[in-house]
Amino acid sequence: MLHRTKTHSRRQMLKLTAGAALATPFLSTRAAAQTVELSMLAWYGHAEPDIVGAFEEANNVKFIPKYYTGGDNMLGLIAQSPAGTYDLVLSDAEYVQQLNAAGYIEELDPADYHFDDFYPEFQKFPGHWQDDKLYSVITRFGFLGVAHNTDVISEAEAASYNVLMDGRLTGKVGHFDWYLPNLGQVSLWNGNASPYDIDDAAWSQVMERTMAMRAQVGGYFDYGGTFSSLNDGQMLAFAGIGDWITGTLEKNGAKVKTTIPEEGGLQWTESFSIGKGTRNYDMARKWIQWVTSAEGQAKSADMAAYPALIPNRKGWDVLNATNPAEAKRQNMVLGEYNAMDMIREGRIQYRQLPIQQPLEDWNDFWSDYKGS
Amino acid sequence: MSLPLLFWQVAFFLAPLIFLIAISFWTVRNFQMEPDLNLKNWERILTRGVFWDAYIRTMIYATVAALFTSLIAFPASYAISFKLSDKTRQWVVFLLIIPFFTSYLVRVYSLQVFLSDAGIINALLSKVGIPTMAMLNTPFGTLVGLVTLCLPLVILLQVFSLGFVNRDLVEAAHNLRCGRLRTVLQVIVPSARVGIVIAALFAFILSFGDFVSPLYLGGGNPPTLSIMITDITKSGQQWPRASVVALMMISTLLVIAFAAIKFAYRERGK
Amino acid sequence: MNTNKNPLIETSLRLHLVACIAFIFLPILGSFAFSLNSDRFPSIPLGAFSTEWYRLIWEDPFVWVGFFNTVKVGLVVALIATILGFGGAYTDYRFRFFGKNVYLALALLPPTIPVVIMGLAMLAFLSRVNLSGHAVSVIIAHGVMCSPFAMAIIRLRLSQMDPDLEAASWNLGGSEWATLRHVIIPFCRPALLAALFITMAVSFDEFAVAWFVSGLNETLPVKILGFLQGQVSPRINAIGSLAFLSSIILIIFAQMLMRNPTRTSK
Repeated sequence: MLHRTKTHSRRQMLKLTAGAALATPFLSTRAAAQTVELSMLAWYGHAEPDIVGAFEEANNVKFIPKYYTGGDNMLGLIAQSPAGTYDLVLSDAEYVQQLNAAGYIEELDPADYHFDDFYPEFQKFPGHWQDDKLYSVITRFGFLGVAHNTDVISEAEAASYNVLMDGRLTGKVGHFDWYLPNLGQVSLWNGNASPYDIDDAAWSQVMERTMAMRAQVGGYFDYGGTFSSLNDGQMLAFAGIGDWITGTLEKNGAKVKTTIPEEGGLQWTESFSIGKGTRNYDMARKWIQWVTSAEGQAKSADMAAYPALIPNRKGWDVLNATNPAEAKRQNMVLGEYNAMDMIREGRIQYRQLPIQQPLEDWNDFWSDYKGS
Repeated sequence: MSLPLLFWQVAFFLAPLIFLIAISFWTVRNFQMEPDLNLKNWERILTRGVFWDAYIRTMIYATVAALFTSLIAFPASYAISFKLSDKTRQWVVFLLIIPFFTSYLVRVYSLQVFLSDAGIINALLSKVGIPTMAMLNTPFGTLVGLVTLCLPLVILLQVFSLGFVNRDLVEAAHNLRCGRLRTVLQVIVPSARVGIVIAALFAFILSFGDFVSPLYLGGGNPPTLSIMITDITKSGQQWPRASVVALMMISTLLVIAFAAIKFAYRERGK
Repeated sequence: MNTNKNPLIETSLRLHLVACIAFIFLPILGSFAFSLNSDRFPSIPLGAFSTEWYRLIWEDPFVWVGFFNTVKVGLVVALIATILGFGGAYTDYRFRFFGKNVYLALALLPPTIPVVIMGLAMLAFLSRVNLSGHAVSVIIAHGVMCSPFAMAIIRLRLSQMDPDLEAASWNLGGSEWATLRHVIIPFCRPALLAALFITMAVSFDEFAVAWFVSGLNETLPVKILGFLQGQVSPRINAIGSLAFLSSIILIIFAQMLMRNPTRTSK
């Protein structure tokens, strides 16, 4: 089954490429008429030319992106839009669960995708599967730790969450404004091995520890604010974010870095689902196949908007061969102590919805914390 | 005459508004909103201290922004209306329209670079030996943003109403040796009252509901009601609770708007 | 009026005006400077001169599509909102009827609704009547949001009209329509123009509701939101600066158009 799909798609690809080559002189007139428009609901950057350009050309597709600025807005949007509006939906694992519970995404056939090439940790990622059925294919992930300005806070100092209480950081600690990563980090700080699966006593301690940090906090930011306040030194340390932010800043010359503390770090994931009622299922599937292929993954790791780690082992090979600098920067060098080793040593926990408390308790506490 | 607006608002506004009221009684199960008739959302929001704190805070921000903007605007509007030649006035008015066409988001983003600790203003201050001040991520930052938002509109509305102040009346006051300040306070301000109050009202409304300045210049610290709305939706599609906050905001603004309009059009003591 | 000038007051008033304009324009000029700066995250001191961000938006087809959407929506919204606003303002000025307060509340309420909520409620409603995800959806939503502004401006002008003027026209045998056409509308012309401008501007700048209802037919402010939230790209400054320059050109143009007739008549 898997084999047949692959050859089939390869033959199709050849046909298309040949067709495209023949049609090139008339590209502007003829090709435009047949171009498939593929709508994608995603975080900013996932349908920009640097990442989709080659695929668009090879398959005569045009991506129509709709970028969201938060998972909850994304869910609100999809809930109230007619089915089939969005062919592809990129979301974090926590929201895949919600998208699926609400029935907004199609079931996928695992045989269609390159799971064999993935690191085993990502072959059956929780949240993407429900009752052994696949709903979303992981494409990128990353770690959350302590983001810090390296001029003021050294990596050694940032190796513990205790640095957030440092006197130099009073009024200079920023939060990415979402309770889930921040409270998860505090839970790790408190020594909870599974930060989201904690009993009420441990939850009280998390609340206590968080409140004790209040005087250190200079602000609560969305992505835009996080980027700029870390960049200009307005905030010297940040909780709730990771290399996808500091790495982007670093590439632009800012002296910031994310360090994963000894107490452990969190992990986020991005995965593609196909929207319920899509009219372009085949093309959407083809895109997911491409972006999770070795070649697509290597590109995705160094996406212009923000970098990320990739789950495809063969993607690591390609990245190490074609872009060794980025592989090194993101700790994805094969044969060295790398990101996968951190996961395997148990230093990294999934970011997920709280298990023993209702979601709203965590959120309500976060509002209280901000308002206090 | 009155029908087009009525029709439009009933068709496209009343319906969403009723929907909004309805969902405030809905429940959320499994990340999906389900129709219901449940008072829990109201209870949950209205019994929480953090809501009332944010409510009062937002009221204060909006009041200060409206008063402050009106006070800054008035001398400027006065100068535009009474001190400039017709030609210059036209140009200044056109200048004031320009900000409306440049995105508020862009302006606020740019203000960050002015207000930050290592920003332009602090760099200039330290050059003349004044110690740097924290401006970004403080209520002051929020206020600067709100004034940026409201000032052009308030000046324009004030100029607009000052334009209709009877010049003969002002002349008469002068001839009667009425002092300059007295002329302004007892002749000009009363005859332009409608415009001044409406301008302040718009400033209040805009500031009350704005989330861009509190978020990008105030650092969301501490939060206002509009930030709170976004927060609440993060508990897994809690739009019903968010609409409770929205409805509280709407009714507050409605009361204030009617009070302001009543005050503006109160019979003039002729 | 020019009888008793106090130079000190005159000067300080003018200085205050200049300060106000400076305050309003500083962020705009700042973003202009940042748009020509090579740094992706502008800070002090500025980096090298660069037109990279302009090239990027020039080459981004979605920016163009967004731009044309915005202009299209803005023009239609300005027209609709001003007509609606005029009707509302005139109703308030002219008539007294049962339920007028409800009418006024309905007319003036939209700006009081927090945009995030307004966006979701609008989308929920529009998608149920199959009107979501198009430029028309944005026009509908912006029409609702902008008409109160138009109404307030026109109502302000009407409140300065001498009530006898209308009566005089009727006495002279003018029908209601003729009075409206020859007395009221000319009297309101500056307000109508102002309303057109302001409503167009409000629509040009609105992103929160437009994000929800526009679906895949995004307007430019929605794109700006993406640039700002997603990666803080100075492209937002480039777009802002272009909008700034084009509005200045538009305004100079309008100035010339409006000045010419008066000159010839003199």
